[in-house]
Amino acid sequence: MIEILISPQLAFSALVLGSLYSLIALGLNLVYGTMRLLNIAHGDLIMIGAYTTFWIFTLTGIPPFVGLPLAAGIAAAIGAILYFSIFRRQLSGIDRVERIEANSLLLFFGVSVILQNTVGMMFSGSPRAYQFLDTVYEVSGLMMTGNRLAILIFAAIVLTSVVIFLTRSQYGLSISALIQNQTAARVVGINVSRLQFVSFISGFALAGIAGALVSMTEQISPFMGFPFTIAAFVVIILGGLGNIKGGIIAGMLLGFVEIYVVVLTSANFRSMLIYGLFVGILLLRPEGLLGKTRRH
Amino acid sequence: MKRIVHFIALLLCSLGLIPAQAAEPVRIGFSIAKTGLFAQAAPSQITAYELWANQVNAAGGLDVAGDRRPVELVWFDDESDPAKSAQIYEKLISDEKVDLLLAPWGTPHHLNVAGVVERHGFPMVGNTAASVAVREVQPGNIWFSTSAIPDRIGPELAALAKQSGVKSVAIIANVLPFAQENLQFLVPALEAEGIEIALNESYPPDISDMTGLLSQIKAAGVDGIIALSYPADSFLYMGQAREVGIDVSFEFLLVGPTISAFSQAFGDFADGIVTIGHWSPHQSKWSRAKPFFDAYVAAYEMNPDYLDTALAYMSCEILEQAVATAGLDRDKLRTAIASSTFDTINGEVSFEGVENAVTPTAFLQLQGGDMHLIWPEDIATASFSPR
Repeated sequence: MIEILISPQLAFSALVLGSLYSLIALGLNLVYGTMRLLNIAHGDLIMIGAYTTFWIFTLTGIPPFVGLPLAAGIAAAIGAILYFSIFRRQLSGIDRVERIEANSLLLFFGVSVILQNTVGMMFSGSPRAYQFLDTVYEVSGLMMTGNRLAILIFAAIVLTSVVIFLTRSQYGLSISALIQNQTAARVVGINVSRLQFVSFISGFALAGIAGALVSMTEQISPFMGFPFTIAAFVVIILGGLGNIKGGIIAGMLLGFVEIYVVVLTSANFRSMLIYGLFVGILLLRPEGLLGKTRRH
Repeated sequence: MKRIVHFIALLLCSLGLIPAQAAEPVRIGFSIAKTGLFAQAAPSQITAYELWANQVNAAGGLDVAGDRRPVELVWFDDESDPAKSAQIYEKLISDEKVDLLLAPWGTPHHLNVAGVVERHGFPMVGNTAASVAVREVQPGNIWFSTSAIPDRIGPELAALAKQSGVKSVAIIANVLPFAQENLQFLVPALEAEGIEIALNESYPPDISDMTGLLSQIKAAGVDGIIALSYPADSFLYMGQAREVGIDVSFEFLLVGPTISAFSQAFGDFADGIVTIGHWSPHQSKWSRAKPFFDAYVAAYEMNPDYLDTALAYMSCEILEQAVATAGLDRDKLRTAIASSTFDTINGEVSFEGVENAVTPTAFLQLQGGDMHLIWPEDIATASFSPR
């Protein structure tokens, strides 16, 4: 047991899973943080990213890394259409956060159903998959499948870039200010509407990127998104709704807990312990691990 | 001019060169999990129905006791809800007044619909239901064409493992019903064959990493692994087993390897994986098997699901042949299905009670990218090949 626990194999898997959880949750958190919209179609955008990458690779042989920007672009384009057609009006007409959250839940539920069924009609519901970078590399006894290593590297690059952008650039700092306090951000001259639009499509683009990475290791289908939506919500609530860094830390924590809990107890307890941890943290810290009380 | 065209059309119809589209269509109803939990699995069934209907129409229509009539499929989304499926069959029979029924997808849906067809005395050939619970269904109006029933899979799988030289196994099982039902019958069967069970763990359906489980299996040093898995976890297992360094001669995955995406995702690495299934296009004794496979690939540009698509298509063939002799009269149809022997892509099929009495419980193995029957010997298209 000790040998398994200290093996680099488990640590590698925990890093891969944690970074994926963090990446999946990042886009959702960005949209919620800046606009208080609860995007329950987030997993369906991951599905869109996965399908885009699948078709690009299958039809042209272009590797997922190269197809990844297009996956992000298509997801962002969907975001732009939704923003201008539905959500801009929603945001401008309602002042109460609770109302925005409730309305967005219903609206995104509709978006989710439309996306699933549109993709289902276009490509059928049959699961699809492709074989890419599945060579196993060995480094000092640690075995790493190429596609899982790629997920870890790309997720780390995206997560680091987003954090640097939000903490070092003028634009990113404006978004951070908007996340912390929308009214104050408006008072100091930040163009809230523009930032909300940029955050909205960036959140969608990040989901598209996550989908492109997921497609390298999992079967894809029009209905694959829901578990990702659930995982993303667990992560952002654990980390503190709208808290970008908190979400990343919570994603990594969840990855490690999941991997090591299975070895220490039983795979059977996996879901029970993860959701137990989730409920426990919510009871002790309703604002999440790193969350702070926000003002709209 | 019109008269000449009508005359030529009539002449071609009478010669069987074009379908007699003027005839009233035979309406065939079913519910399908177009959305919800089973939406990923259901396409394997509806593609079979569509292919069959297209083939029948292209051949001039369904032979209804001597008359050719086109086939029209009437279906509604049951949202993966068995209760809703039962309501839809009620609607199909009472409101839509369909002439025939095809089955919904999955065991719970079949069991829910069984009561409806029994109440209306409307015969229906099932396909994708696989549980010992099907034997508790009132016989007479529903038949199950599968032979992949857990109480038979267990002893047969244990016998296959024993014959393949397996002395110790690790079992990992999804907690969902089909996997657990298989586990219930597999454990005593393995013990009866003298095969040591070094590890027996269940896992939740939403598991997202198996490294821990697979590390424990590797540490157990077994020579066989039986994963009672569903498609998503079969993919997870395959992706991570190699990374962990799993190297055993016998690897069995319950559900997943028969779908086209599985081979697409894992290529040569999937070679040697054993799974449930009793149909292969390579069985030359079944003259309909290869033409069906070729037609499916031509229509959908992917391989059929060797289990569910084959079962769904078989049920259509059985219905087609029964209607050819009995017509649409439900009493005659019931008698025809219950008492006839049918020529299907899976060979001959006849029923005893609700069960397929001919097709043996069998196993498939991926070999060189092809799916071969390796068990039992009398229908095998290849011998078991160690991983």
